[in-house]
Amino acid sequence: MYLNYLASISRYIPELLLVMLMVGLILIETTYANDDKNKRYIFITAISGLVVTFISLLLNLDGKSETIFNNSMVIDSFSTTMKMIMVLGTLGAYYLSTISKEIYESLKTEFIIMAIGILIGGMILASANNMLMMYIGIETLSIISYVMAALKKNDERSSEAGLKYALYGGISSGIMLFGMSHIFGVIGTIQFTGMAANIAKLDHTQILIMMPSFVLFFAGIGYKIAAVPFHMWSPDVYEGSPTPVTTFFAIVPKLAGISALVRVTMIFFSTASPLSVMWVGLMMVIAALTMTVGNVSAIGQKSVKRMLAYSSISHAGIMIAGLVVLNKIGIQAIVFYSMIYLFMTLVAFYITNIVQDKYGNDHFERFQGLAYRYPYMAIMMSIVMFSLTGLPPLAGFVAKWNIINSLLSSKFYTLAIVLVLNSVVSAYYYLKIVRLMTLKQPESTEEIEGFGFLNQFIIVAMTAPVIILGIFWDSVMNIAYNAKLFIP
Amino acid sequence: MSIYYYLAAFLFCLGLLGTIFKKDLISILLCLELMMSGVALLFILFSKSTGFLGAQLMVIFTMIISACEVAIGLSLIIALYRKKQTIYTDDIKIITE
Repeated sequence: MYLNYLASISRYIPELLLVMLMVGLILIETTYANDDKNKRYIFITAISGLVVTFISLLLNLDGKSETIFNNSMVIDSFSTTMKMIMVLGTLGAYYLSTISKEIYESLKTEFIIMAIGILIGGMILASANNMLMMYIGIETLSIISYVMAALKKNDERSSEAGLKYALYGGISSGIMLFGMSHIFGVIGTIQFTGMAANIAKLDHTQILIMMPSFVLFFAGIGYKIAAVPFHMWSPDVYEGSPTPVTTFFAIVPKLAGISALVRVTMIFFSTASPLSVMWVGLMMVIAALTMTVGNVSAIGQKSVKRMLAYSSISHAGIMIAGLVVLNKIGIQAIVFYSMIYLFMTLVAFYITNIVQDKYGNDHFERFQGLAYRYPYMAIMMSIVMFSLTGLPPLAGFVAKWNIINSLLSSKFYTLAIVLVLNSVVSAYYYLKIVRLMTLKQPESTEEIEGFGFLNQFIIVAMTAPVIILGIFWDSVMNIAYNAKLFIP
Repeated sequence: MSIYYYLAAFLFCLGLLGTIFKKDLISILLCLELMMSGVALLFILFSKSTGFLGAQLMVIFTMIISACEVAIGLSLIIALYRKKQTIYTDDIKIITE
């Protein structure tokens, strides 16, 4: 029994490292004076802690897939890969928070402490193997997110964003629990282990009860991904919260939700049954709606951050589209898409934040003539925008191509057409920034301090994968190919 | 069994409707708690009928987590109240298109 737990803990080192890092950062923070500007040890500890976590996840990647802690968590290469992407996203958002002026100097430590808390929640969610762990993961993710959205506590917009997030989150998690309780009532267990056999045993009436229960169950996860019927919080929260927080929200909770959704789908619906037909239909409708609503709403926006929020909704829709095929090709496409999405989102938000810090707002006009003053940055932003649209030879194209490939291989032609048409719509608002940067004259010739050498170097380094993976994508595709989902 | 099911479903629906139609934030939080207690009752009920005790664990966690949620919600309401001197949802809409 005890040895069993020890064996479990040996596979659970990354999460434990993060917990220790979180506590350690709180302790280190107390040694500094309240108005201390230069909290160097926190920076060093946070960065090195996240890197060590990344390395320990990398070591975990090759181990055999197994369930730990009495079947409550599952460690497999899929969840480990998604966790690695989340850790990278946290690193990126943390560096942005240290250079951003959006977060008060005294609260910068709070940012990384809470970010690590959310990361732990995301990791629990990514490897949850029963309903309880899934609920705990979602709530760990959510409850800290509410505080994080309200990080600028003297700004009423930020407080409003946090409150909106909290209320929507509370309601959707209540709805999810309602669905979960009915699923439990029908199946008789909260464990996901051996679920396929349980599903196969259901009779007609029980399946009829299960269908709406799963729709309710989807509310909780769909709210974290910002899938369409539950997306209303997303633009407001993204706009109201400070930009580094928005960057973080666009990556970590979203990818955690996607990985939970993939796991739930494959556990409950990978065998043919009336339920799986229902779920595929539901996912198709939600994917198409999420893409379309995200893209169409993004067109009329004035604020770049809000535009990026809507665009991240539509990207979530594309990732959900990879789910309907219910096989390995779709999951690989989703993992690959997440990797590319990470880099594209980080670069877009970095540049937006630095421009916004200079001018005080992030309207499209602030980007006018950026190509004449900071040509490298304008080139990087253009590359990312083209990649988000999905133009070859950039990585965004390959990512989208993989999703469409998986759709076509299972004959979901309609959804593939919707996806392609949505890419065309998205070109309008992405390329608007490119047009403003290159064809308009700059408003002022003042220097933007954020674009120092180091920051420019980091932005270029983060754009490099977007260019390189557009051509040499087979090595990363191998990582995605090895990300196998383990269904106990 | 069935009467408890109706009670739980009634509590849940009451809470859900309250969160949608109520205009002040404190009531919304109370309705959230009502939803959660309905769900907790459901879990106890199904746990009794299926004989699987794991679901009672779920009840305890539901209670703990919803308490955390309400605490966070209240603190956010206070943060907003200090700025706007109101807790009515109609008066605090700042972020718009």
